[in-house]
Amino acid sequence: MATSLTGPGASASAGSPVLELKGLTRSYESGNRRRTVLKGVDHAFEAGRMYAIVGPSGSGKSTLLSLASGLDSPTAGTVRFRGEDIAKLGLGRYRNRHAATVFQSLNLLTYMTAVQNITSAMEITGVKGPRKQRAVELLDLLGVEKQDRNRRTLQLSGGQQQRVAIARALACEVDVLFADEPTGALDQETAAGIIEVFQKLAHDDGKCVIVVTHSREVAQASDEVLQLKRGRLT
Amino acid sequence: MNLFKRAWWRLTAHLGKTVMLVGLFFVICTLVLSGFLIQSAAARAAESAKNSVGAVATMQLDLNALIDSGKMQQGSGGTPGMIGAEGDLHRSLVDKICTSSVVASCNYMKDGVAAPTDQVKLHQPVPAPAGQDSGGVDFFKADGIRDLDAVKDFRNGDSKIVAGSGIEPDSRSDMVVIEERVAKDNHLEVGDKVELNANIQNPDGRLSTKETDFVIGGIYRNNTADTGTYVPPMMAPSNQIYVTPDGATRLDGKKVGADGGVIKEATFTLRDPGDLGRLKQDAEAAGADLRIFPLTVNDKQYKTLVGPINKTADFASVTVWLVAVAGTVILALIIASNLRERRKEMGVLLSLGEKKPKLLGQHLVEVVACAVLAIGFAAGASQFLSQAIGDQLLSGEVSAANEQAANEAGKPDPSDPTGGANRSDEPEVEPIDSMDIRTGPADIAKVGATGLGIAALATLVPGARVLRLNPRDILTKGD
Repeated sequence: MATSLTGPGASASAGSPVLELKGLTRSYESGNRRRTVLKGVDHAFEAGRMYAIVGPSGSGKSTLLSLASGLDSPTAGTVRFRGEDIAKLGLGRYRNRHAATVFQSLNLLTYMTAVQNITSAMEITGVKGPRKQRAVELLDLLGVEKQDRNRRTLQLSGGQQQRVAIARALACEVDVLFADEPTGALDQETAAGIIEVFQKLAHDDGKCVIVVTHSREVAQASDEVLQLKRGRLT
Repeated sequence: MNLFKRAWWRLTAHLGKTVMLVGLFFVICTLVLSGFLIQSAAARAAESAKNSVGAVATMQLDLNALIDSGKMQQGSGGTPGMIGAEGDLHRSLVDKICTSSVVASCNYMKDGVAAPTDQVKLHQPVPAPAGQDSGGVDFFKADGIRDLDAVKDFRNGDSKIVAGSGIEPDSRSDMVVIEERVAKDNHLEVGDKVELNANIQNPDGRLSTKETDFVIGGIYRNNTADTGTYVPPMMAPSNQIYVTPDGATRLDGKKVGADGGVIKEATFTLRDPGDLGRLKQDAEAAGADLRIFPLTVNDKQYKTLVGPINKTADFASVTVWLVAVAGTVILALIIASNLRERRKEMGVLLSLGEKKPKLLGQHLVEVVACAVLAIGFAAGASQFLSQAIGDQLLSGEVSAANEQAANEAGKPDPSDPTGGANRSDEPEVEPIDSMDIRTGPADIAKVGATGLGIAALATLVPGARVLRLNPRDILTKGD
């Protein structure tokens, strides 16, 4: 894969902290009960590195990902992107310009083809240039067969859909890529390919890649493994 | 704009749902447009009926009201029991009322008679049978009027000018208009100077005559043919002559101005039959005592003509509202259910940073696209459908109106101040029994606005609720 995954001019300065979590706390009300899922999490993520967040089910991994990716707001604490509170930056703007997420449940738009899913995301996030050509390149790099590119995503296999979801995230040319169990539904060979893609993104393109995973392979391939236990990073 | 592309992809990917939505909109728009078309047709019919029958308000003395008011011959030396000056309707008052903005034209009438002369003899095709007295009606019926065109026979087309001109407000005061049979019998033409005999009531009660000069200004034709039997001369339509109000005063044996411009009745042709209230206000402002000189409209013809079609239009109006409201509710429910199904899609788009108004915009574009298609189809179909619905509804209303008219035949008309005396003067009319449905740009624009309004309401109301959620809630709900 000699081609840059995230396209021209999309690299961040490797080694510098790009994302900082400060005292991140998230609680949920359930009737009269208040359940705190994350308890004062602090961490700094650097560009050009791949992070794996591991931990048992219910430890707050997905919640941490939601807060860090701007899908949700913390009860207390802040998420800072390049030193600026993303709440002040605007969560929508942050998601639009700086962060992309590959969901566990894929979350592709089923009435669109693989290419349309990608070009649509590029349009929403304001990526310039020949979008369709870029979408085809990314699908090619991720091993999506030619005949599958213009099929509606509902007609694709789980592995193919995962590739499309990753291609969509990559196409947005963001600084931070989040992935929630990206290899969970994939066979070993495909999973290895996806891990390689994430590594290249971090090391070659200078992105910050944060992966929530249960997979030992993903954890081993990461530059740093963060363990989440009962709402705290250890 | 990505939202338009997404809307197009969505509509084409879910063709079944798209067709269903278009179908539902088509039904709503067709019914709404049919309602509008029926309303427009009814409005056109009402306007046409208004023009054809008009609405004439009559002002004349109500003797009972005068008696009740106690104003009959009070003091001032008059004969007790006589009507007196309080019962006089004056031209000056009527002229003021004529300036009201709701009056299209007005007229007043001073009735009178003129005795024949050697120069102008009565038209009498069948002489009185031997030994039969004419009963003292060997006169011309001479009505002093302000405007001949506003006289009922001329309005209805029963009479028309065939030579010269009719009497107008500014006609010379000695002008007379005679029927063509009288003109023919007496070899008279327009411009001829003639003498008619005024009847003078002498102080001793005897009647005498006085030759009074007139100029023939016009000759008219009355459509009523002579009967083959004897008719008392004054009853024959051919012996009706028209003079100016001043001419009628002179035929009364009085000097012009000596009677204070007293007339028998005034008529006001209204621009709209519904303007009677406004006319009454203007009349009171002009100084009329409407208790003694009531203003009444005999708009029975108008009501007969437009009653059924107006009822049909009312029904159509209710239908438009019902369909619009029910359509909005049904569509809102369908779209709400659609939005629920599409929460995940919205969550994905929000996670990509798409703006909430644009998400809602995509739904709106989808619904509006279906609505526009449906409005196009409805515009084509409504012409025929509304004609069929309108004719069916109207036919039912006409039957009901005819049945009611048959039941009421012979009963006195409460709106007729003469108690039925004038009934035979009004030509019988049949209710309008057909609709002239025409689809115009204004109707399409109205249904377009309604359809798009429904689309917007049905999308934005349920959409607003969903878009309050944040993407995490949407994406994790149900997972």
